[in-house]
Amino acid sequence: MLKLAFKLVLLLLASGSCGWASDLAVLSEYHRPDPFGGIVASDQPGASWDHVIRLSAARGGYVSFQLVFKSDNPCNNCKLSIESSQPVDVYREWFHLNTPDKHYYPDALVPVHLPYSFQMPDPENGIQGQKARAFWVDVWIAPNTKPGVYHGQARLMDGAAGQKVRFTISVFPAVIPARDVIDVDANSYGIGWLREQYPKALAGSGRAQEDELFRLIQAYHRIFYENRGTFHQLGYAHNGHVDPDFVPELDGTGTQKHVVSWDKFDRLFGPLLDGSAFARTRRGPAPIPFMYLPINPEWPANYLWWGEPGYQAEFTNVVSEMEHHFRERNWTNTKFEMFFNQKKRYKGFEWDGDEERFPSDYSYLQTYHDLLMKSLPADTPVHFVLRADVSWTMKQQMHDLKDAINMWCAAGGMFVWAADELPALRQHGDTVWNYGGTTSVQDVSTSIADDPLRTWILGVDGFTRWLAIDPGPKPFEALSDGGTETLVYSGERFGLEEPIPSIRLKLQRNAVQDLDLLEMEARRGSRDAIKAQVVRLFDNTELAQWSHSPSPPPAGRVLDWNNTDIGDALKPYDAQFPTPQPDAWQRVHDFTMEHAGGLQ
Amino acid sequence: MKRIVSLFLGLQLAAFSAQAAVPVDPATEAGVAARQRELNEIARISTIMIDGDVCQHIVTERALAHMLHSDPRDEWQAGDNYDVNNEAFIQTKKTLIRLAMLAPYPVNVNLWMPVPTTHDIQLVIENKNNLSQYWTFGDLRQAMPPEMEEVLKTGKPATIQKTPGMLSVLAPVRNSLGEIVGLVEVVSSTLPPPATNF
Repeated sequence: MLKLAFKLVLLLLASGSCGWASDLAVLSEYHRPDPFGGIVASDQPGASWDHVIRLSAARGGYVSFQLVFKSDNPCNNCKLSIESSQPVDVYREWFHLNTPDKHYYPDALVPVHLPYSFQMPDPENGIQGQKARAFWVDVWIAPNTKPGVYHGQARLMDGAAGQKVRFTISVFPAVIPARDVIDVDANSYGIGWLREQYPKALAGSGRAQEDELFRLIQAYHRIFYENRGTFHQLGYAHNGHVDPDFVPELDGTGTQKHVVSWDKFDRLFGPLLDGSAFARTRRGPAPIPFMYLPINPEWPANYLWWGEPGYQAEFTNVVSEMEHHFRERNWTNTKFEMFFNQKKRYKGFEWDGDEERFPSDYSYLQTYHDLLMKSLPADTPVHFVLRADVSWTMKQQMHDLKDAINMWCAAGGMFVWAADELPALRQHGDTVWNYGGTTSVQDVSTSIADDPLRTWILGVDGFTRWLAIDPGPKPFEALSDGGTETLVYSGERFGLEEPIPSIRLKLQRNAVQDLDLLEMEARRGSRDAIKAQVVRLFDNTELAQWSHSPSPPPAGRVLDWNNTDIGDALKPYDAQFPTPQPDAWQRVHDFTMEHAGGLQ
Repeated sequence: MKRIVSLFLGLQLAAFSAQAAVPVDPATEAGVAARQRELNEIARISTIMIDGDVCQHIVTERALAHMLHSDPRDEWQAGDNYDVNNEAFIQTKKTLIRLAMLAPYPVNVNLWMPVPTTHDIQLVIENKNNLSQYWTFGDLRQAMPPEMEEVLKTGKPATIQKTPGMLSVLAPVRNSLGEIVGLVEVVSSTLPPPATNF
């Protein structure tokens, strides 16, 4: 009898059903675990550890959840496997020590192959007292998936004992459009950061190193594209220095200046511009929608000739050749941005191209617009745009430069004071984006959806995160700034010579998928009603609060404002929006599926 | 006037190019010595060619006032208010570009000037080759390095090799009163220019 009772206890322990020794649980995407068996502080409201999860999804997109294995005891031979009728991508979650608050947060996602063998605690992550290992699961719902209910299960073997959790996915008929309703952009500058983050991959020299660099750059485009975003990489510095990888090779001077080789340019950008770089993605091949040109005050024309006939000759010669080359290659689905990033404080040039504060600098943009027009045939099918990133004087620029600029990237927050200009810009055919930063890992998970949502609510075309590739010097040991300058990490530490995603990137992607569907529903005629319900579900606000500031911009001349004045003037606007709850986007998603899930 | 300056510089360029006609491996001791001679010559010509009175008009009074009076409420105010007089800037920058072209390899001729009423120095113009042994990117003003202070005091050029691969010659810039109002950093590197993030 005693022997039988002992066997029964062993059986219970092995099954995990008693729950104290070890447990495989499932969490929603919005409730991030910590390495000690809990939930990170900001995501705790509404969190529950379950053994089954029911999800809903449209076709042509991803649906996500988390698996967490908790154990009081070490495990040297754990194995995770998943049975699913739909393709799954599984990642182990890396717990980062966040320097600002000294807590651990999962963010980097390291791809794993199933079945995946692992240990508890994770010897690589090296966290004292670790009792939980977490996995992010992306389930891909292909566009041709038959609508219906699909079941799957995850199984964990801890030695001889096994545990399992189940997931159910209701696949709706709607197909997420190939082209997103908004562009959520990841911005970057130069290539120095690649050399810092990939010392092994870029250790070579010559052509081999160049090929590796190009492969890496294309991989960055790919990871953002696959996660419903775009990627920008500026190819020149504030002083006009161009990276030779980003430009066609030039020769000659004055009227003789011309392109002598497109070799590097075509090898790097060709696959991005014809879409072939994305052939092996789940979303399929598509040309990049936007790209910075390397044009700056020092390229292609030599600044030495600024104000002289030679400047125009060199500029128009080379830009005309660019147009011709792009047209020949049929690169007609990308907006090629002539964008001036330099600021006079960096001592290269006498005018601000970026965030112009001095109205006396406007004439330069007008001059470059005129030079561009002189370089292009009137009927060119290639889309060249003059992009201006605007903040201090955005409203005045939108008036004074309305015939020169056709892509505006306006400071988020401040844009609310210029939102009434949007109809005129739209009528003009302009592209309008906002820009800003990235939420920290210590913020509530759903806050990453705030900017994409605001973009859609305001009716602008995109949002760019001004720096989205810089995780700091040793991100796997400690995140120095909460990850506010990155949404991806270098995979080199894990033997992957490519970027790896983050939880925040996945959450952002899933929100964009829903916005795509909401836009489909909004186009059926009930746009304002849909938007009003979405913001009410997200953070219990009213639609009018999003597009109107209760307070005006600072008083007086813009030249007399400072950053604190602007911050103070925006406080009443910002104060209208409470911090969203972790399940805020779950409510939006459920609403999306209810109203747009049936659309075909 | 501008044309006359260009003509003069053109003659200097022709004379200099004739001297530098024999290529020498810059990584060797002889190469370093040859490069040092070439940079010294560009520095000497720079002292002649750069108009110190014009340089004194580059940074605006308003920008200087913001640089000198920090705002505890806004750490960015000095940068946000940094401004230059375009004509003076353009004229000087073009001269610096021409001076850099005297060498058959990448050279930056950077203009540095003291920050009035302080013991600091400021970079006023940088050119496109991403070369300087002194500039901390983004700093509007920096503590005066002793070697720059020496050049400003004595007017004697100085050759500096601090950063591996880089060689700078510092030389004075004078105004019409004969006062030393700034200096040039004539700098080259035997290594490829560093990749930038900004």
